[in-house]
Amino acid sequence: MTPPRRTRRRPQPLVPEPAPRPPQPAQPTAADGRRPRPNPERLYSVAGSDGARAELDLVTLIVARTAPPVSATPEQSAVLRLCRAPLSVAELSAYLGLPFSTMTVLLTELITDELVHARAPIVRQAVPDRSLLEAVMHGLQRL
Amino acid sequence: MVSVQKPPGRRERPYARVLLPPAIVMAAAAGAAVALVPPPARFAVGVCGALAVLMVLGTAGEAARRGRRLREAQAEHARHVAQLEQRIAAHNELMARFATEVLPNGFYRLRRGAVLRNVVRDVFDADPYLRSLPDGYRELIRMALRGADQEISMRDATERSFVSVARRVQAIVHQQAEELREMEEDHGRNPEVFDDLLRIDHGTSLIGRLADTISVLGGGRPGRQWPQPVSLYSVLRGAMSRILEYRRINLASIVNINIKGTSVEPVIHAAAELLDNATRYSPPTTKVHVTAVEVQSGIVIEIEDCGVSLSEESRARIERMIEDAKNGEDAHNLGENPRLGLAVVGRLCKRFDMEVSLRSSAYGGVRAILVVPRVMTTTEPGVGAVQAHGIGAAAAQIPTADAVEGPKRPAKKRRPTSPKIPAGISLEDDVPEVTEWTAGGLPQRRSRVKTSLTQRYAEQAAIERAEREGRPTIWSQREPEPEPEPEIDPERKKLMERPPGLWMEDFWNGLRQGMPPDTPTHELTDFTLHPTKYLHLLNDSADYAEGATAGAAEADDEGDLK
Repeated sequence: MTPPRRTRRRPQPLVPEPAPRPPQPAQPTAADGRRPRPNPERLYSVAGSDGARAELDLVTLIVARTAPPVSATPEQSAVLRLCRAPLSVAELSAYLGLPFSTMTVLLTELITDELVHARAPIVRQAVPDRSLLEAVMHGLQRL
Repeated sequence: MVSVQKPPGRRERPYARVLLPPAIVMAAAAGAAVALVPPPARFAVGVCGALAVLMVLGTAGEAARRGRRLREAQAEHARHVAQLEQRIAAHNELMARFATEVLPNGFYRLRRGAVLRNVVRDVFDADPYLRSLPDGYRELIRMALRGADQEISMRDATERSFVSVARRVQAIVHQQAEELREMEEDHGRNPEVFDDLLRIDHGTSLIGRLADTISVLGGGRPGRQWPQPVSLYSVLRGAMSRILEYRRINLASIVNINIKGTSVEPVIHAAAELLDNATRYSPPTTKVHVTAVEVQSGIVIEIEDCGVSLSEESRARIERMIEDAKNGEDAHNLGENPRLGLAVVGRLCKRFDMEVSLRSSAYGGVRAILVVPRVMTTTEPGVGAVQAHGIGAAAAQIPTADAVEGPKRPAKKRRPTSPKIPAGISLEDDVPEVTEWTAGGLPQRRSRVKTSLTQRYAEQAAIERAEREGRPTIWSQREPEPEPEPEIDPERKKLMERPPGLWMEDFWNGLRQGMPPDTPTHELTDFTLHPTKYLHLLNDSADYAEGATAGAAEADDEGDLK
């Protein structure tokens, strides 16, 4: 009566591990990171399953605008505490242990409530510098 | 009751006293007649009078005897009636005793799991009065108990089978939930898949709650055990996630306390049933407010909805239902009443010493109050409290070998009025990295090597200066050195002066015709005679390639300029 079990997909290391790490008896389940500590709350109760999602990237920086209000959920207040300095969505997702999609719903609620700012990451070469343009110009002229 | 007993002295009245008065009256009458009649008739009258006296005596004696017998028979009858009435009374009493004492006692023992034989011995044979009764009574009791025993064992078997099925469903749901959680983490980057997974997850949780309900109604445990304490907030969220309309639940001001691992599931299930009732019996647009405060006896969880208020009558009915459920006597209700929730809550409260009550809410709806006893709470650190208390604490609790440490930032005194780029971030990163230039002078991008902006400005200035001074720069078009005119073979010159394309035709002609050894010289093409002269035609392309690679190498060299 045991249903088929799913083997979890995980990224395969390119290089095989040279030596297996000695087992750590002190941390039976939580240490290897595979099994999260059992928690009765499901992800959809943390952030709605069909919540709207803003255009957030993994590297979008989140900055808190206010201190956590009283009515904030634990996740929201954690985000607001962590984001006193800009933090990327990926980092928040890792610290809170929530998947990216849940994080975006959570952050979208916060953005809608005007509790945080989302700032596009500083993209390299978004604004090309002058020397590059000049170089291109020279090169084109000499063709 | 007709027991009018005549005094026994009257019955014992001697015959003499009964017979004497008529005999005396008769004898007096006979004597008077003898005295009054003339002497010759006296004898005859005397004889007749004596006879009459005798006859009266006889008749009276007989009458008296019969009367006595009649009285005796009447007394006997009355005694008999009294005895029968006594027996009837005793019988009634016995029946009442059976109904109020013997059978309930036996049923109770049977329900507690006693064996039928022992039950009959304990409730019937142990009593000397009952033992003295005819065998029929014992058989009657035994049969009644046996019927009940069969029903009880059949019900037990049914319940056990239900519970075992529910157990399996619970196990599957639990595993499913774990795997769904893994999948949610695996597909966290893909919102469409993620939302679908959440929907499946929700459905699975609903199935799990139904399985828990069956299990509890069948006398089992309400689901899995949690190994560690869980914070009350997470417990209530767990309850929230098991109902259909979890979005309407508003958790406000939940006391920060942890629930023992063994008690987590009962609280979750009871709260989930109450939340389900609250969302089900209130308008679908309203919120259900949940608060939890700590009191002396434990925790009070209040669930308030904005539905229809509860009249006193219906409140009494519901409380009776819960009371019945606590006593396990609601089996007859379960079939026709779809409100399994309250029955489940009642049973859970009975088993885990929780209390539930319903009041009218200030919002106009119902306020359900669940009191969780203090023994269920704990001060040990729990799961889920992590997020309520701060991330740093969690990171300290589970250090792993390769754990990434959280940010250790000093608390800021004030938040910036407008978030600016922090001073620590270097602007050099923004400089496009142009480190190489192609032969044509176009920039070529390399990812690894960085050239700082100032350096490149310096380079640019140097190039411009060089251009002004007329020195060659990387931009200046290299004038190709005039190559020395190679000495051209006259044959080749002639060939080169020929219209283009003709040599090819000759070439092919020569090849096509074949070359017999005795062919006269004038018939052979020039190529056939001096094939080596034409090698330069082949080498031209090679030269070109060589030039290209040389150019590339040049570009590389220039690119190494720092």
